[in-house]
Amino acid sequence: MVTREEHETRQKFGDRYAEDRTDVVRQIERAVIGSEWGVNGYTTVRQADLLAELLYLGPGMRLLDLGSGCGWPGLYLAARTGCQAVLSDVPLEGLRRALARADTEQVADRVTAVASSARALPFQTASFDAVVHTDMLC
Amino acid sequence: MLRASRLLLVAGGRTAFFTIHPAPGLSPSQRRRAHRDGPVAVAAHRPHRELLERAGFIDIDEIDCTAEFATIARAWIERSEHHHDHLVDLIGIAEYERRQRERRTQLHAIEDGLLRRSLLTAARPKSTATTD
Repeated sequence: MVTREEHETRQKFGDRYAEDRTDVVRQIERAVIGSEWGVNGYTTVRQADLLAELLYLGPGMRLLDLGSGCGWPGLYLAARTGCQAVLSDVPLEGLRRALARADTEQVADRVTAVASSARALPFQTASFDAVVHTDMLC
Repeated sequence: MLRASRLLLVAGGRTAFFTIHPAPGLSPSQRRRAHRDGPVAVAAHRPHRELLERAGFIDIDEIDCTAEFATIARAWIERSEHHHDHLVDLIGIAEYERRQRERRTQLHAIEDGLLRRSLLTAARPKSTATTD
């Protein structure tokens, strides 16, 4: 069952993903995180690169990113390491942006977006080589 | 969610995640403040290492990333202040001030030693003997 707090959080993130990404917004993100992926959290590029290293990501591997937002870090990791990535989150606007970015990054053939809550994941058992998430409730 | 993650992994598959959590050893009132002032995800009542063990993971490792957490939290505040006028035009004064207030509250909780951010890594056992 979704609590009121979770519902409000989802609404908040959905609204944020729908905001205009102006040049200044991108500039702020570059200064804080080190790149531009629609991020408003705390995972830097250096830390995303560390995730790739710790998970031994590479071509042919299958990664699940829970709470992927606009594709950070799952889409970035797919672009950087050559792995396949399944992006999972509830707000559709974030997933739409992630898929558009997958086209731009020319990794659309290796990236899938699935609208789902981490409470009820619609995936088969033993179907991923790696699972990643950043600052989610767990 | 950790148990679900373990089931989704192939044998020997790995998980890695960042998590914001209350610092260990807090008094009950400090812990309440950590929950109140941290992001909504700061709700775990047990250490993540223990939660991972209970979920059936092995090879668990934890890296403290709190110093970088504080640096990034401070950078969001400062860069947003620097672009105050643009952001107010974009999202409105009320939302701008709400976000900045939330960030400052979190930063104070980090600086007061109440909130930490950690990177956890763990693996699904290669043996199929682990119970699901």
